[in-house]
Amino acid sequence: MIDWNDEQRALRRTMVDLGEKLGAGHVERDQAGEFDRSAWDLVRDTGLLGLPFDPAFGGLGADLLTTMYVLEGLGESCRDGGFNFSVSTHMVSTGVALQRFGSAALKAKYLPMVCDGSAIGAHAITEPDAGSDMMAMRTTAKADGDVFVLNGSKAFVSNGPIAGLYVVYTLTGKPGSPGAITALLVERDTPGLHVGKPVAKMGLRTSPLCELFFDDCRVPRANAVGGVGSGFLVLDHVMKWEILVSFVINTGEMRHRFQSCVDYARTREQFGQPIGSYQSVSNKIVDMLVGLETSRKWLYDTAAKLVRRENVTTDIAITKLVVSEANVASAMAAVQIHGGYGYLAEYGIEKELRDAVAGPIYSGTSEVQRQRIAAMVGL
Amino acid sequence: MSRLAEIKRFVLDEFAPDVVADDLADDFDLLDNGIVDSLGLLRLIAWVGERYDIAVDEVELTPDDFRSVEAIAHFVDSHLPLLAQEGLR
Repeated sequence: MIDWNDEQRALRRTMVDLGEKLGAGHVERDQAGEFDRSAWDLVRDTGLLGLPFDPAFGGLGADLLTTMYVLEGLGESCRDGGFNFSVSTHMVSTGVALQRFGSAALKAKYLPMVCDGSAIGAHAITEPDAGSDMMAMRTTAKADGDVFVLNGSKAFVSNGPIAGLYVVYTLTGKPGSPGAITALLVERDTPGLHVGKPVAKMGLRTSPLCELFFDDCRVPRANAVGGVGSGFLVLDHVMKWEILVSFVINTGEMRHRFQSCVDYARTREQFGQPIGSYQSVSNKIVDMLVGLETSRKWLYDTAAKLVRRENVTTDIAITKLVVSEANVASAMAAVQIHGGYGYLAEYGIEKELRDAVAGPIYSGTSEVQRQRIAAMVGL
Repeated sequence: MSRLAEIKRFVLDEFAPDVVADDLADDFDLLDNGIVDSLGLLRLIAWVGERYDIAVDEVELTPDDFRSVEAIAHFVDSHLPLLAQEGLR
């Protein structure tokens, strides 16, 4: 694995030290479905929201691998999985898209807000009838002079209820064509944009999600991220980052969960022996470790390949499959190992299973990842 | 085989095996006419990057660069010398 230097370790320590405070009260917030604004302010104060972004716009200029390493520390130390998800969504949805594809003017205006967290970021991709099949989207952006006029709706917008900035993927050409999608940066208070109420969900409840509605919403043409028709490529780039950055947080969570299970299995006795002495229990914990280390290897190897400018289209799909499914298996094993306590809400163990179930669904379902791998090998 | 012919051969082999080369015009819109879909576009970009040693994740590119055989050839032509000059290859 990678030999991290002192500076990288110090950044991670900053995040880890903060994590316990960020996660305090996570069980109660999960039950209430509340985003923790005070925790957000704590993260803002560290400057870590600008971790991978250009220092010219308030970022810390860290590379992808360092960003992942620090965020893995967030997952290991902060028990609020929904909050962790909101942090990664904020960074990748707007910041990563702007940094790679934004014009100089867009970067100057919006990246500082992303870096200091004064405006929370979100992206709007999915529609009620176009989930994994994004080419079937119906939200249109019609050119009218120097503005685009948006009409339609988006569903499953993570951070939607709390966001100040949205990258909205719209149809600007022939439906079905990969050259017909345009990514537009939309401010929350833009007339014609209506933000729906938070939608109740199974897990990641502290990361609010909603629908967005566009009714003749006029957005400057200059807010196109990456140019007209480039939305699919913007999204492909953002999804690579989303998978690496968001799922490395999961490996931090898996590490914490694994250690909790080891500790529990060494102290919890049944029939006069620690339950860890029974192979039916220890095998589950070993499988948790194998899943964790396999996930980390895929994540960091794929990121290193991306940094080396190699094509990672297949690797990223494999990584997403491996990590998201290993996380579900790990969370399920933790519930089983903790028995009745794992099933009770007050210990926060069942919550992690509910959170993990989102993984094989968002950022492209497991089924779509397999389809993508099949296409890349020519099937 | 010229670069244009090589690109056309790849497109036909991978996305339209029933079409003969003479029937695919150099400027035929591969994207809007459904020859290359979204996953196909990623495969096409990956192939161009590997075949011509272009760091496609680093350069500015749009779907228009891959809209036709002619556009792809132009994209390759315009990036090979630039990248070599900048030492990015």
